[in-house]
Amino acid sequence: MRLTTFMLGLLVGGLLMPLLTETSLADDRPITLRVAYDTDPVSLDIQEQLSIGMLQLSHLAFDPLVRWSRELDFEPRLATRWERLDDTTVRFHLRHGVTFHSGNAFTARDVVWTLHRLQRSPDFRAIFAPITRVEAVDAFTVDLHTRQPYPLLLNLATYIFPMDSRFYSGTSARGRDKSEIVKNGNSFASSHLSGTGPFEVVKRQPGARIEFERFPDYWDTDSPGNVDRLVMTPIAENATRVAALLAGDVDFISPVPFNAVQRLRHAEGIELVTMPGTRITMLQLNEQRVAAFRDRRVRLAFTYAVNQTAIAERLLKGFATPAAQMSPQGYAGHVPTLTPRHDLARARALMREAGYGDGFTVTLMAPNNRYVNDAQTAQVALAIAAMLAKINVTVEFETLPKNQYWAEYDNRAADMMMMGWYSDTGDSANFFEYLTFCPDADTGAGRYNASEYCNPRIDALVERANLTTQPAARARLLQQAEQEIHDQAPFIPLYWQNLAWAATDRVDIAPVLNVMNMPYLGDVVVHPR
Amino acid sequence: MSFENGTPSTAWRRFRDSYFLYRLQRDRRAQVCLLLFGLLMVGLLLTPWIAPSNPYDLAQISLLDSELPPFWVAGSEPGHLLGTDAQGRDLLSTMLYGARVSLAIGFGAVLVQSLLGTALGLLAGYRGGVVDALLMRVADIQLSFSTLMMAIIVGAVVKAAFGGAFYGEYGIAILITIIGLSEWPQYARTVRASVLAEKRKDYVDAARVLGFSGHRIMWRHILPNTLSPILVLSTVQIANAIMAEAALSFLGLGMPETEPSLGSLIKSGFDYLQSGSWWITLLPGLLLVMLVLVVNLLGDWLRDTMNPRLYKG
Repeated sequence: MRLTTFMLGLLVGGLLMPLLTETSLADDRPITLRVAYDTDPVSLDIQEQLSIGMLQLSHLAFDPLVRWSRELDFEPRLATRWERLDDTTVRFHLRHGVTFHSGNAFTARDVVWTLHRLQRSPDFRAIFAPITRVEAVDAFTVDLHTRQPYPLLLNLATYIFPMDSRFYSGTSARGRDKSEIVKNGNSFASSHLSGTGPFEVVKRQPGARIEFERFPDYWDTDSPGNVDRLVMTPIAENATRVAALLAGDVDFISPVPFNAVQRLRHAEGIELVTMPGTRITMLQLNEQRVAAFRDRRVRLAFTYAVNQTAIAERLLKGFATPAAQMSPQGYAGHVPTLTPRHDLARARALMREAGYGDGFTVTLMAPNNRYVNDAQTAQVALAIAAMLAKINVTVEFETLPKNQYWAEYDNRAADMMMMGWYSDTGDSANFFEYLTFCPDADTGAGRYNASEYCNPRIDALVERANLTTQPAARARLLQQAEQEIHDQAPFIPLYWQNLAWAATDRVDIAPVLNVMNMPYLGDVVVHPR
Repeated sequence: MSFENGTPSTAWRRFRDSYFLYRLQRDRRAQVCLLLFGLLMVGLLLTPWIAPSNPYDLAQISLLDSELPPFWVAGSEPGHLLGTDAQGRDLLSTMLYGARVSLAIGFGAVLVQSLLGTALGLLAGYRGGVVDALLMRVADIQLSFSTLMMAIIVGAVVKAAFGGAFYGEYGIAILITIIGLSEWPQYARTVRASVLAEKRKDYVDAARVLGFSGHRIMWRHILPNTLSPILVLSTVQIANAIMAEAALSFLGLGMPETEPSLGSLIKSGFDYLQSGSWWITLLPGLLLVMLVLVVNLLGDWLRDTMNPRLYKG
């Protein structure tokens, strides 16, 4: 293991060697940023696959209409401003004077073309389904129409990266339509790229490296970014990625594995940035399997017995934020007053009151292998078993590898199940729809509601929120739903796993990072050595 | 020796006059090992009474006590002599309980191996012919798989077939069976070799002439004469079994998190090595090394002592 890691390190070092010597020759050398992600974008066609790797590429070579700021607000990019004309229409005003890498000028036509292509893309089609019509009002104004009132249109706009319609139209040398989307195939778009983004692709070796150069005509002249050349090397092996950073072979790595956090925090010349993530981990109490869980007092007792703060700070070394609700800070449904409520005396009293003073036995299942930034769920589950033992609840505890775990999860095979959930839309409603809605096999609602808790009041609140386009009113509805969940305690929220990135300290990464895990490397400042 | 002051039993007298004791009195290394082994055994037998807490009782654990250092490091607490692990379990107690599990698996596995191996080895050696060829080829096949690989396969199959809860409940028994079944050829080979040497001796012929059954000759006449290699092999195998269990637990295929053996304790502490809590891994690791070393050295010494060529020559 150690040997292979070492050899991989050598290999990566070897790959990057020419680069090192090359940059040290020139005196006023261009600033190069060497980035190591865990995966390589599978294609240059950003609409071919919906994945974090492709979205990261999109932010390098393209610009979205709007993007998330650090505070989870919307930041204007290719759309300078937007207005809601009515419940089903939003008007975007586009930026003037933007050019594509090909030299073509950016207009409303490109946005319309891009959206039509998105609606043909197998991966993106589903999330763009709410949009029924796209209309170019003039050269720099676009209207988006939806079937029903749709409050998440701006969230959707963060996925719209306008592509160069003239560049991608016509017939390629091989006689194929240039705009076609071929999954894992050899389309024109998968090997040619023209966007509006800060970086142009100069060279690409699939699976090995992508080289970018700063686009000289980039529209955002206010961007502080000073990187002239960007080299992206995928390093899948966690330990190797960390070793590459420590050895100075790369300048920036993402993701940082959980067990390397401590080491990087104390490493010299390395800047580690962590942020509270948005992925909630919870323990679902199945009330179909355990009659006692139908009693609100028992559920509350369980919630009071669990000490989220101790788990986050002790077991996870502060690499998680203790949670008492599903929505992380910055989400519409987040209620700031809801904090972890560990109170053992209260928990015991509630158990006695419910007639379970002597406790009972429950089963608990948790996955036991860790992914990159996945906490040690088995350790967490064991800690919870110990906490519940203090209210006389005996926990029969079982951990499984992840692939086996999901099969058991779908069968609802244990009384308590561990669950981690990330909202794709960056919105609170997503949590409710999958985790708390009354389970309905036909509509897919409550697909991951292993509490099997059903509260039509909460469903109604969220459904109303989904038709409310007024942000403030919508947030109030979602917060009400969150509060109701908190009062009813059908599950125990545990923590939001933190995100971590690391870079050499001459790279000023902190300002360009965000909880959506989309580093805006176009704006990154690198201090010369 | 005199009959006047009490009557020492013949067994005691035989022991006092034995070459065994004579060697022991002159070998400092063996004395130290025996002392350590004795102390460990006593400690482990009395664990439920001498351990500061019971790490298997989840109600006694508090996460707030987690990762306290051992007593010679600043920040330690008097209640936890060797500190606590990441879950807040008292490390001394957890190590004692863990070593009990490790040792139980070691002894249990060796018992299974030796019973199976001795029986098959005797049979093969005494009967010879087809039985011998068949049994030894099976042993060859078995030996061509590494113990760890066998254990991983069997463990995975048991887990998949009966579920993790079953595995957790009968973890010790399953591990004993797995390690026991995969190491029996060691015994079979050794015993067979001794039997082949013994069965040509006159006393066997004499027994046969007297009309004793093959069964009786095997068990009552030949077996006692092959016991010393078995005894020596056992000490080595106990150490091996403890190591195999530790390795399996370290890979996550051994004892469950709630009932850690030394191996699983080392594993769970491993993740915290980088964050400065070295004792969670290092102390159980040292205990494991000590346990295995002591058993191995004792076995070594026993082999030298019992080797007739060495002491009669």
